[in-house]
Amino acid sequence: MAEKIRPPRIRVSRRIKKNKVFKVKVKFDHPSFTGLAMADDTSDPVFNRAIPVTFIRNMLVYYGDELVSRLRLSSGIADEPLFTFKLKAIKEAPVKVVFIDNFGKRWEASKEIKFKG
Amino acid sequence: MKKFSKIFVISYCFSFFFFQTIFAGTVVDKFKIEGIRTIASTKALQSELLKKLDIKILDLNLKSTDSGWPVLRVEYDPEIVTRTKIETAIGEIEDPAGHNYKVHKGPLNANANLIEEENQAMMKFGDLTMDLKQVNNPTVDFDSSIKRGKDMFIKNCAKCHGLNGNGYGVVAHGFTTWPRQLWAWYKADSAADSYLYWIIENGKSDMPPWGLVLSEEERWDLINYIKTIKKPEGN
Repeated sequence: MAEKIRPPRIRVSRRIKKNKVFKVKVKFDHPSFTGLAMADDTSDPVFNRAIPVTFIRNMLVYYGDELVSRLRLSSGIADEPLFTFKLKAIKEAPVKVVFIDNFGKRWEASKEIKFKG
Repeated sequence: MKKFSKIFVISYCFSFFFFQTIFAGTVVDKFKIEGIRTIASTKALQSELLKKLDIKILDLNLKSTDSGWPVLRVEYDPEIVTRTKIETAIGEIEDPAGHNYKVHKGPLNANANLIEEENQAMMKFGDLTMDLKQVNNPTVDFDSSIKRGKDMFIKNCAKCHGLNGNGYGVVAHGFTTWPRQLWAWYKADSAADSYLYWIIENGKSDMPPWGLVLSEEERWDLINYIKTIKKPEGN
C-alpha cells in the first residue's frame, strides 16, 4: 500500500497533430484500501472494519476550460493507479486532470498541448 | 419472627458490604477499535491490554455494532485507571504484523461532503434519470413473503444498509454517498412501490442494479420486508 501521497504527473504523446487522437497518461501515487479485514470468518457478515477507508473518489479531465470527462472511482482501484485515455486534439490548450479523494482533498496536474507537424 | 428479622438484617448488611467491596466504583466503558485485521490481532489486543492495565475485558464485538467499528467493552475502577490511560495503552500495543491499534474517534462517515467542483461535474455527467413505471404488488401471502424478504435482506443488503436498516453496514463507510436508512418506508403504502422497485432493479449511486440478480418475485419480497423495518432506538 502506498504510504505517501505524491502529486499526479501527466505524460502526453510527443507529436500531436491537429484533429488527431492523442494519448494521455496520468500517474498518481495515492493509496487505495477498503478499510475492511476478516478477523473472524465464522459469522456473517464476514468482514469487519479495520482501518479508515481510503480511495480516490473522482477524477475530472479538463481540456482547456471544458470538462470533458468524469471518472467515478471506488476503493476497488489499485494503489498508485495509472490512467491512460485518449483525446482528440481540437485546440492548443492545457489538459488538466483533477483528483479528489474520499476525504475531500484535491490534487491536480496539467500539461500544455501544442501541435507539431 | 424476631429471629428471622435479625437474620435478614445481618444477611442484608453482609451482602451490601460484600458487593460494595467487589464492585465499588467500577465502570463499564466502550472503545471503538481500529487496526483489527486478523484473528491473531484480535487475541493480541486483549492479552497485551490485560498485561498493561488492571482492567477486565468483557467482550470484543467485531461486527454487530452501531457504528460498524469493532467495540471493546472494558470494566475498570476509575480511581486506578482512566479512559485516557486505556486509550494510550491501546495505542501503544502492536499486533503480530507490527501495526498499531488505535481508538477510533473520527466521524462515522469517512467520506467527506462533495466539493463544489464535483457537484458541477455531476451536473454535467450525472446519474441516469429515473423512469418510474406504474407497478402493482402481486403478493398474496404477505407473511411468508416478508420472511423470505428478511432472509434475502440479511444475505444481500445488510452489508451496506445495516442489519437493522440504519445505513451503517460494515462496508458502507467506503461509499460516495451514505446508504439510505430504510425505516423511511416503514408502513409505506403502494405509492412507494414504483420507486422502491425501480431502485432495487436499477440501483442508484453506489447501489448495484439488483435486477440482474433478483427475480421479480424476490424484489417484491424485499419491498414487503423493507416496509416492516422500524426505526431502531438510539439512532
